[in-house]
Amino acid sequence: MNTAVYPERRAAPPRRRGLLAPLRDRANRWFLNRVPASDTVQLTHRNVYILPTRAGWMLALTLVVLLVASINYQLNLGYLLTFLLAGCAVVGMHVCHGNLRGLSLHLDPPEPVHAGQAVRIDLRLTNTRRTARHGIGLAVRPAHGQPPALAWVDVPAQGEAALQVTWGAPGRGRHALPALIAQTLFPLGTFRVWTVWRTASTVLVYPTPEDTPPPLPVGEAQAGESGPLRTQAVGEFEGVRAYRRGDPMKAVVWKKAAQAFASGRDELVSRDASVAQRQTLWLDHAACGHTGLEARLSRLTAWVLVADRLDLVYGLRLPGREIAPDQGPVHKARCLEALALC
Amino acid sequence: MLSLASPLAAAARLPREARDTLFLLAVIGWIVLLQTGHIPLWCSLMAAGVLAWRTVLTLRGAPLPGWVWRVGLLLLAIAATALTHRTLVGRDAGVTLIVVLLALKTLELRARRDAFVVFFLGFFTLLTHFFYSQSLLTAAGILVALMGLLTALVNAHMPVGRPSLWQAARVAGGMALLGAPIMLALFLLFPRMAPLWGLPADENSGRSGLSNEMRVGQIAQLVLDDRIAMRVRFEGPPPPANRLYFRGPVLSDFNGVEWKPLNSDFPRSLGLSPDLRVSGEPVRYEVTLEPNDKPWVLLLDAAVAAPEVPGTQARMTPELQWVTRRAIGSLVRYRAESYLDFRHGPDRPVLGLQDYLQLPGGFNPRTHELAVTLRREHGAGPDAAPALVQAALDRLRTGGYRYTLEPGVYGQHTADEFWFDRREGFCEHIASAFVVLMRAMDIPARIVTGYQGGEMNGVDGYWTVRQRDAHAWAEVWLQGQGWVRVDPTGAVAPGRIGSLQRLSAPEGAVAGAIRTLNPTLVAQLRATWEAINNRWNQWVLNYTQGEQLNLLRALGFDEPDWADLAYTLIGLVVLASGLGALWNLWERQRQDPWLRLLDQARLRLHRAGFALPARATPRALATAVQQQCTDQAKDIALWLLDLEAQRYAKEPSADLRRLRAAFKQLHWPKRPSP
Repeated sequence: MNTAVYPERRAAPPRRRGLLAPLRDRANRWFLNRVPASDTVQLTHRNVYILPTRAGWMLALTLVVLLVASINYQLNLGYLLTFLLAGCAVVGMHVCHGNLRGLSLHLDPPEPVHAGQAVRIDLRLTNTRRTARHGIGLAVRPAHGQPPALAWVDVPAQGEAALQVTWGAPGRGRHALPALIAQTLFPLGTFRVWTVWRTASTVLVYPTPEDTPPPLPVGEAQAGESGPLRTQAVGEFEGVRAYRRGDPMKAVVWKKAAQAFASGRDELVSRDASVAQRQTLWLDHAACGHTGLEARLSRLTAWVLVADRLDLVYGLRLPGREIAPDQGPVHKARCLEALALC
Repeated sequence: MLSLASPLAAAARLPREARDTLFLLAVIGWIVLLQTGHIPLWCSLMAAGVLAWRTVLTLRGAPLPGWVWRVGLLLLAIAATALTHRTLVGRDAGVTLIVVLLALKTLELRARRDAFVVFFLGFFTLLTHFFYSQSLLTAAGILVALMGLLTALVNAHMPVGRPSLWQAARVAGGMALLGAPIMLALFLLFPRMAPLWGLPADENSGRSGLSNEMRVGQIAQLVLDDRIAMRVRFEGPPPPANRLYFRGPVLSDFNGVEWKPLNSDFPRSLGLSPDLRVSGEPVRYEVTLEPNDKPWVLLLDAAVAAPEVPGTQARMTPELQWVTRRAIGSLVRYRAESYLDFRHGPDRPVLGLQDYLQLPGGFNPRTHELAVTLRREHGAGPDAAPALVQAALDRLRTGGYRYTLEPGVYGQHTADEFWFDRREGFCEHIASAFVVLMRAMDIPARIVTGYQGGEMNGVDGYWTVRQRDAHAWAEVWLQGQGWVRVDPTGAVAPGRIGSLQRLSAPEGAVAGAIRTLNPTLVAQLRATWEAINNRWNQWVLNYTQGEQLNLLRALGFDEPDWADLAYTLIGLVVLASGLGALWNLWERQRQDPWLRLLDQARLRLHRAGFALPARATPRALATAVQQQCTDQAKDIALWLLDLEAQRYAKEPSADLRRLRAAFKQLHWPKRPSP
C-alpha cells in the first residue's frame, strides 16, 4: 500500500465538453477575476475554501450506519463510539481548515525559459503558528475536471518551506503565471481545503532555439572602415567560430575548449580567419535563411546563444527594432527578450 | 533470546510504505483479536492467516496476490459462514463476514480508496464488539483500536518525508481529546429512541444463567460462574440476607429428568391466580440487571406493582414471576418495591392445584414408598400437610444429608438416589427430591428458581448478586396459607442460606498465590474493580431516555420531552458556532507582533501627514520617509531599517523589546516638509 502518497484516481479521460462548458468557463473566469492578483498572499477564512471529499461522504455514511446500529441494538457504547468518531471528524474539519488558514504564500518571479521548457515557479510558505503544518500540496490550477499534479510540503512551526512547481508555458512571449492552488487533506482526508492564488508575476518565454543551426553569419564591415582591412587581415588571427568538421587541429582554440569542457559542454571553437576582427556580427532576421517568422526567431535565438557562448560582440536586427552590438549576459537577455516579444 | 529492541530497530529501518502497512496490519490484527471468541474459530484463523501472509508480502516487498485469490478466499469464507451460521443475514453471520472482509481487503490495498474502505470497515467492526460485551475492558480495547485506526489515517495524510508514528498518534490523540466534549454532548442529549425496526432473533447466544428448564446438575455449573447477575441498591438498610429471594422461573412440570414451566391441561380459566396479599413495610430498591437474554425481570419476593423497565413493560405471571415482552439483551435498570411479608395462592383447594401433584410414572418408586411411610406416621389429608413438610425437613436435617458441589452423575431415579443412596447433592437435587416427595404425599408443590443472597460491595455499597448465587427452592401449598416457601437446602446446609458461606470453586494459580500473600487483598481488589465496573454500568451503559429527561429537569426544564433534548442540542451547536466566530474574530485581530509594530509606525507616519505606499515593506516606508522629509526623519528611517534587519535576520535575534523601546523614543515630526 502506498500510504505516503496515494496515487490519485486514475486520471479520467478528458471529459467531453458538455453543453455547460462555456458557462462553466465563464463562471471560472468570473471567479478568478474576483481573486486579487498578488505575489504574496495571506490565507484567511476569506480565501480558503472547504468541501468534503469522497472519503468524507463515505465517513458520513459510516457514521449513519453506526448510529442506526446503535439505535437498533440499543448499544450505549455504540453511541459513544459513533459520537467520538463524529467529534473527531468535526475537529478534523477545523484542523484541516486551520492547516491552510494563516499560512502565507510567496512567489519569486520565475527565470525566463525557452519555449518547450517547463517554467519553474519557486514558492515560499511561511508559517507563523507554533505548530507545524503538514501535508500542504501546491500545483498549477488544472483545467476543469482534471486532478492537479500536487507537490507536497510540510511547513515547520514558525518557519518557512520552499517548494517548486513547474508549468508548461504555452509558447514564446510574456505570460502571466497561471493561477496556483494550495490544498490540504490533513489530517483525516475527509475534507479538502484549498485556495486559488492568482499571481501577479509574469514569465518571459524565449523562442525555442533551433536544434542544429547553421554557422554564424559573416560579420559586416563597420561603418567608416571598409575593404582594405579585410585584405590586410587575411591569414591572421581575427576571430573564432564554432568548430566545423574539417577544421585543422591547429585552428582549434584549446584554451576556450578547456573552459568549455570544464563547464560541461563539449564544443570546440576554431579560429576563423575569414571574419575580420573589426567587422561586426549582425544577427539579422532578414538574412538568416528562413522565411517563416517563428523559424527565423528560432534560428536567431540559437545564434544569440552561440554568439554569447563564444563571447562575441553581436547585434540583433528584428522587424522594427535593432539592438546595437554588445556582449555579456545583460545584452543576451535583452536580445532574447526582444526575440520573445517580437 | 529475542529482545524487544531488535524488532523495533528493524521497523525503523523499513521503508516508510512498508512501515505504514505493517502498522495498519497490526491495528487490524488487534481488532480481529478482540473479536476472537465471538466469531467462529475458522474465521479467526483465516483472518490471522491472511494478515500474516500480507505481513510477509510487505516485508519481502512482493507483489499482492491476484484477484483469483481474493475472490476464491471470499467465496470460501461465505460458504463457511453459511455452513456455520445457517444463514448469511443474521447478526452473528454479519459479524463473521465483516471480519473476513476486513482481513481480505488488506490484500487489496492499492489506492487511496482501498485504504479508506479498510478504515471504515474497521470502524464498523469496532461497533460489532458491543453486540457481545459493553464492559469497561471492552471499551478500553476498542479505544486502543480506534486510536490505532485514527493514527494510521492521520499518518496517511502526512505525505512528506517519514514522520514518526508517534507524531501522527499525537495528532490523532489531540483530535480525540477535542472531540470528546462533542461526544459527551451528543451522548447526553441525542434523543434515545426505540429500535427502528425489528431485529433478527438470534440473540440467545449462549450466555449462561438461569434457564426455564432445570436438568439436574445445571445450577451446579452456574456455581462455577463468578459473573455478576445483578446489582441492587437498597434505599435504607438491606434486609437480612436469608430473606433475599430473587424470583426467577417457576418450574412445575416434571418428566423424571427435567423440570419445566407448567404446561397445564386445564383451560386457562381454571388456572391459579396470583392472589397476592402483602403486609408490612415494603423494601424499596433499584436493580441493575445484567443482560440475561431472557424476558425475566428479577425481583425480590414479592412485588405488587410493576417495575418500570426502560423500553418495555413488565407483567406478573400467576406464579408471581415478573416477565417482559422482550428478552433483556442489554443492561437494564429498574426501581421496585417488594414486601417481604406476603401470602399468595388460593386459600382453599381448587382444581388448578392438581397440576402441582403430577408425577411421571415409573420414576422414583422408593420415594413413593417413603411417602407412604411418612403419611402412615403423620397422618394424611390437608391438615397433616404441615407436619409432613416438617417431617421431610427433619429427615434432611438429621438423616446425614450433605450439601456438595460434586454430587456425581445421577441416574434415572434422581429422587430415590438422593433420599436413599447418595444422600448428597446441590440445591437443585435437594429441591427436586423434596418436591417429588411432597407430590408423592399429595401435597401440591413446585420448584422456584432464582437467586438467593448476595454480598455487599464495601467500596460502593451496592448489593452484588452473582451467577453463583443461583438457587432452587420449593413452594408447597398448604390449606389456609396458600403457597409457602420451603427451602430444603437450608435444612441440609443452614450456612448456604443467608450467611456468606459458599462452596467456592477452585481458584486459579495467580489468585491462589496472591491469597497466600495477603488474604484480604484479593477480596479488596475485586471489590474495587467491581465498584468501578458498576459505576461504568450506572453512568454509561444505563444512560437511558429517563436519565436524559432527568438531566433536562436538572437543567431547569419543567416537563421535558425529546423535543427539548433536540432544542438543547441545537442550542449547544449555536453556542459552539458563536464561540467559533468569536475565536475567528480574535484570531483575525491577533497579528504577528512584528507586523503590529510596523503598523503602529505606519499609523504614526500617516498621522504626521506622510503619503505612504499601500502594503509597503519597512524598507519602502523608510525610502518614502526619507524622500519626503530629509532631516528629521532620519531616525525613523533607521529604525525601520533596523526592524527589517531584525525581522529577516538569519538567526532569529528577534529583539522586539529593544525595537519597541527605540520606537517609543523616536521623535515624530508634526508635518513633513512640503
